[in-house]
This record gives sequence, structure tokens and C-alpha cells, in this order.
Amino acid sequence: MVLEATMICIDNSEWMRNGDYSPSRLRAQADAVSLICGAKTQSNPENTVGILTMGGKGVRVLTTPTTDLGKILACMHELDIGGEMNIAAGIQVAQLALKHRQNKNQRQRIIVFAGSPVKYDRKVMEMIGKKLKKNSVAIDIVNFGEDDDGKPEKLEALLAAVNNNDSSHLVHVPTGPNALSDVLISSPVFTADGEGGSGFAAAAAAAAAGGVSDFDFGVDPNIDPELALALRVSMEEERARQEAAAKRAADEASRQGKEEEPLSNSQDATMTDNTNNTAAETTEKTADPMDEEKSLLERAFAMSMGTSVSDTSMADADTSKATDEDKELALALQMSMQDDTKDPSNQSDMSKVLGDQSFVSSILTSLPGVDPNDPSVKDLIASLQGQPEVCP
Amino acid sequence: MSAESTTAINRSIVDLLDFIDWSGVECLNHNTAHSLPNAIKQGYREDEGLYLESDADEQLLIYLPFTQVVKLHSIVVKGPEEEGCLIGPKTVKLFSNREHMGFSNVNDFPPSDTAVLTPDNLKGKPVVLKFVKFQNVRSLTIFIEDNQSGSEVTKVDKIALFGTTVETTDMKGLKKIEDNH
Repeated sequence: MVLEATMICIDNSEWMRNGDYSPSRLRAQADAVSLICGAKTQSNPENTVGILTMGGKGVRVLTTPTTDLGKILACMHELDIGGEMNIAAGIQVAQLALKHRQNKNQRQRIIVFAGSPVKYDRKVMEMIGKKLKKNSVAIDIVNFGEDDDGKPEKLEALLAAVNNNDSSHLVHVPTGPNALSDVLISSPVFTADGEGGSGFAAAAAAAAAGGVSDFDFGVDPNIDPELALALRVSMEEERARQEAAAKRAADEASRQGKEEEPLSNSQDATMTDNTNNTAAETTEKTADPMDEEKSLLERAFAMSMGTSVSDTSMADADTSKATDEDKELALALQMSMQDDTKDPSNQSDMSKVLGDQSFVSSILTSLPGVDPNDPSVKDLIASLQGQPEVCP
Repeated sequence: MSAESTTAINRSIVDLLDFIDWSGVECLNHNTAHSLPNAIKQGYREDEGLYLESDADEQLLIYLPFTQVVKLHSIVVKGPEEEGCLIGPKTVKLFSNREHMGFSNVNDFPPSDTAVLTPDNLKGKPVVLKFVKFQNVRSLTIFIEDNQSGSEVTKVDKIALFGTTVETTDMKGLKKIEDNH
């Protein structure tokens, strides 16, 4: 619960266009920054955080240290890429911003995201470090991205010059499947904040692990293959059910003619609202499989079903802002899977969804123009009441 | 001389240690193993082994707020006896009533007084200050600019402040009077 003012130095140079940290280095930094801000504010509500960018035309302070998270997040959205990172100037400006903090009782900390090569030499870095130490400013360096000649050594020299009682840290984030934020959460950048912040860090880690992974269902098949398989199978079943439901609705509509439209609509009226939209949407959109619609569909349907599988997939889709491509990939994968397997056990769900069957059949019969003796209507009623009948 | 006697008539010059507000005391560029209380606190400062030491370079910036307004008369800065007092402080600048100074703005305004310490001073001889400049001191900033030998590290054994208090209301005193009723 240490009272601290933090300045975060973001690298928005041209090197940050690279996508080796998904989705791009810059957005990975932005995610990490939001997590850091949240953790700082949670560990002590009086903590302040400010942001500055080191690339572009020159060092620019986006916000001075503030407790207002909204302001910080708004600044993160407006980041653009360009120029070259000037780490020395960035740190010095950060130090100046901290010097003019409103609450002088706060300790001073700088967090630097060093993604591009460092063009200053060791001496300069050491001098900067000494100056920071003299003014009792701690620094956390996140070394990621470019790994050129001498960069780790320069950063280590900086750390050694600044470090006072282990209050400063240097974290290396290699490229790979783990996102920048994930690696940072388990690093001293977060955990050294004191034990109040670790609660937040743990929650964030759980959410991130659910959302940010590259795998379809937030579970690594290497770690837990059975769970991954179970999730995959249930997702396929879900898809198949939805497809079948859509087909049934479409078939009913075509078979009964226009009368079926009010029928399905009134049917919808007896169902929950989510499945309402589901049935209507599937009717209209079966011939139009757009990715976003499918995922919305899936989510809405799954929400009404209330399965944990859908929670995972929702978490997968919702909490990970940085994995849009992954979501599309997952959807494409699921669609191709469900093309192979058509599960005939959709009827049970359909009947559940339709609610009270007798009520539905009574509606059917009461509608004008629907002849209860019509064989197709009879079939329909029978299929509603009987369970395992494959859709024609 | 006469200044001293006039003050002696009204109040005696005391060690201002009791009037330091410890919650606001700050020290920049000190080695955490050798920190400020070693040089100031009663008992600590008499101990030869306990001293205040600088860290990244030879400068030190010490901020001492007081619990009440004081008049500062003189200051004693003792350096370590060994090595011929070579690494004790030399130029000491004093700023009164300036909060939260940093190394970058010590040169921005003139100090209330500057003391250049001789080895005699470092053995314990008090340095008399410009009393007129320190009539109304709420906080004192001590900037140790360099040391006797120009070495990388400055060591301070003891810092003692002498002066008188001003008639500031002492809230604790008020309470006591009420209790007597």
C-alpha cells in the first residue's frame, strides 16, 4: 500500500508496428498500461499515474500523474506510431513530471517500455540512473521487442545505477505466445507493489488467462487435453443445435407458408427473449453466415442455455480485446468442424427451447388458415411432443 | 556578542532537537544503511559508529520541519574523526522555509546562509549563523554541497541546531492547563 506517483513511458516509435506481440507491439503496451494503472490505483486509491510517449516528433506528456483512470485510458486510444524512441529524454521528462506532482508525500516511480534499440551509450544511461537515484526515483524497465547489440547491457547498467534496495526492476519479455501483459503480471513490476496489488494482479491474471490465450476455448490443449476436448465437443454440439434450430425454423416457415411466420413469432413470444432473437435471426441469416453475427448468435443462445462452455467462449471473445483475429480463427474452426458432424440430438434442446409443448400445439391449431388435419401440421405437433426425430 | 546577550536575557539558546517534526523529515541522496536519524537523533548522533552518508555522489539534501516557529542561532556539524576529517562536509547552505527542494533547484534561490566548514567546525565547534535571517523558521533545508577532500562520499557524524523558540502556542500546553481544572 505504498503511496506512489508513477510515470509510464510508452514507446510509440516505428518499431512498434511489428506484430510479434499480438496484435501489435503498441497495443500490447496499451494493454499492459491499463493493467498497471488498475493495479496501482487498487493498491492505494491515492496513487497517481501519468503517461508520456517517447517516440514521435519528440517526448510528449499525454497526462500528468492523475488518479483518473478514464483519462489515462482515453489517452491510450489516441496513440499513433512514428518516429524514434528517445529513452534518455523520456526518462528525464518523466522525472520532471514527477517532481511537480501534487502530493509531495508520494514516492516517485518511472516505468519504461523499451521496445526499440537504445541509441545512447552506457555512460549516458549510468548518469541518468545516478541522477534518478539521487532524487530517490525508482524505475521499472520492460525490455521487449528489438534485441540488438548491447541493449540488455545498457538497460542493466541503468538499473544498477538506479537501484536502491531493490526498489527498481528490469523485466525481459521475449516474443512468444504469452502476451506482454501476462508476463508483466507475474513480474516484480506488479508484485512488488505490495500485497494489496497482488489481489488485483491475481484477478487480472485469471481474466487474462481466460481471454488472451491463442487457443479456441481458453484452455491449452497441451496443459489439459481432456478439458480442451470436452469444450470442443460441446461447442460442436451447440453449433449443430443452432444450425438445426435454424433449419427447422426455416423449414416450418416454408412449409406452412405465411401462416407460419405469425406462428413462429407467437412461439417466440412464449420463449425467453434471447431465444426469440436467436430464432428470428437464424431464420433470416442462415443463408448469410457472417462471422460477427454467428458469434453474437452463439453468445445469445448460449447465454440462454446457461452452459459454462459458453461462458468460457464469451470470456474468450469479450475479455480479450487484443485477439480479434483469434476469435475469427476460432469461429472459422468451429464452423468447419460443425460441417463434418451433424448431431441429431438437437430435438431435445429445441423442445426445451419451445417451452410448453401443449401450449404451442394449441396455438398452432388456433391459428387461422392452419388446418389441424394437415399432415405437415400433424407432423409438426408430433415432432414437438416426441423427442428424437431427425429434422427432415 | 551583544546579540547573544540580548537573546540570553529573554530566552536561553537551546538545542532545537525537541522541536523537529519527525513525520516530515526528508533526506535525499543518502545511503539507506546510513540515514539521517544517525546524525540527528539523541544518542545516535553521539555514537561514532552511526553516521549519515551520501550515496550517488557527495551532495546531501536534508529537510527538517519544526513543530513550532523557531529562531536559529547556530549549527554544529561534526564529521568523522578519522582520515583527518577529510570526508566531512565543507560547504553547507541553509534555506529557511522552503519546502520540498530538490537538487535541481538548490541553485535557483540564494540560501539564507552559507557556512564553509573548517576542520575545527567538524570537531564540534558551532558555526554562528546570521541570526537576522533565521527569525521565523518553520522548516530548514540543509544542502551539503561538497566535502573537505572532494571525495565521492560525504559522511556526517552529527548535526545539532541551536536557537530559541518563538511564542507560538503550544497545543499540548493548553491541554494541560485545562486538565488542572
